[in-house]
Amino acid sequence: MEVMLYRYFDIRFILRSLPQFLLGLELTVEISVVAMAMALIWGLVLAGPRMSGRRWLSAPVMTYIEVMRNTPLLLQIYLVYFGLPLIGLGLSPFASGAVAIAAQHGAFLAEVYRGGIESVSVRQWEAARALGMDRWRALRLVVLPQALLKVVPPVGNHLVILVKDSSLVSAIGIMDLTLTGKAIIERSGASYEVFVTIALFYLALTSLLSAVLRFVERRYRGTL
Amino acid sequence: MPTVLVSSLPYLLQGAVNTLWMSAVCVTLGTVVGVVIGILSVLAPAVIRWMITAYVFVFRGTPVLVLMFLAYFALPAFGLMINVFVAVGGALVLYTGSFVAEITRGAILSIPRGQVDAAKSLGMRWGLILRQIILPQALKMSLPPLLNNSVIMIKATSYASIVGVWELTYAAREIVERSLAAFQIFLGVMAIYFLICYPLSVLARRLEKRAAFIH
Repeated sequence: MEVMLYRYFDIRFILRSLPQFLLGLELTVEISVVAMAMALIWGLVLAGPRMSGRRWLSAPVMTYIEVMRNTPLLLQIYLVYFGLPLIGLGLSPFASGAVAIAAQHGAFLAEVYRGGIESVSVRQWEAARALGMDRWRALRLVVLPQALLKVVPPVGNHLVILVKDSSLVSAIGIMDLTLTGKAIIERSGASYEVFVTIALFYLALTSLLSAVLRFVERRYRGTL
Repeated sequence: MPTVLVSSLPYLLQGAVNTLWMSAVCVTLGTVVGVVIGILSVLAPAVIRWMITAYVFVFRGTPVLVLMFLAYFALPAFGLMINVFVAVGGALVLYTGSFVAEITRGAILSIPRGQVDAAKSLGMRWGLILRQIILPQALKMSLPPLLNNSVIMIKATSYASIVGVWELTYAAREIVERSLAAFQIFLGVMAIYFLICYPLSVLARRLEKRAAFIH
């Protein structure tokens, strides 16, 4: 039985390589967290002009969002990493990866934010104004808290996608989980066990994130 | 003047043809697989539903690039000698399928239960109810998300270049390695992807608006 197990899934080898896997995991978590923070903020920055109602402000942002949504993230990563140095803006691989991921996911998040704010009935806004609140107070006290509740689940979905997308930075040489797997295979001649393990690591990461987000949503719903 | 881009355009377009082929095959197969699994996830006996839940959980929670590597390394280990194209394509199909299954399942479950009860009380059989009542409505509802999903999968075919499939992104990297003209080549290739994906996105949005208007 034991021999059979080793024959089809060499678990001893996986356990021996565990320190390497954990280093890769650490990098995946690091770049995901940095890119998440940047994307969440970048989405807010884009949502403002997108919803300003002034064409000269919203048109360029809409174009940017469309380009980001309709081109592959991998090419955006290549453009930042190989292209920007040509115009004197060389970034480290880590920074390039984080910037490119944030550039794309910020565009998606801007649309999510917009959807959340627009889903709050315009009557709420009118009522707040009629009560004598100024625009900022009406937005801060009435519209945003309700919009935030609507936005938490879709934002959570995007953050899970972001974690999965972070695997693409392996293409520019960052030793994240994915590239660690490839390196281990090339060095040892081990085979699919390595990527089964890697897949399990990602699965654990995305499940954990989903669980945390569900918890946050439930807590927030309770406070409102 | 982007001279390198102009002179390498024929090569890039050849890559684009490969991308289009791979996208068409993977999106079509993935959608068919996903729709069947989505229907089964509502109707099939509990054991099969459990298996489908596990499949969707695993494939939606793992990066498609990792699935591609897994297919690329795993299949030969089981004695299946196939080329990269098939391994990566298979990973893409199963990945697409997991998303389509969720879309289909959501669309079917959103149809009011009363319609099924009404059809049953009229003496319709399950097959007939599915064909005449559930699927036509579910299809109309799920068309916009299915189109959006296709765009995501077309973009995902570019990741196959990392595993070694020769398509548009791979061709772009080859040219950049030779010419160092990273800016114009990558921007040009992004433009090609945009031309493929944008019409689908616009169509999806139109259908979405029309659906919202009807309801």
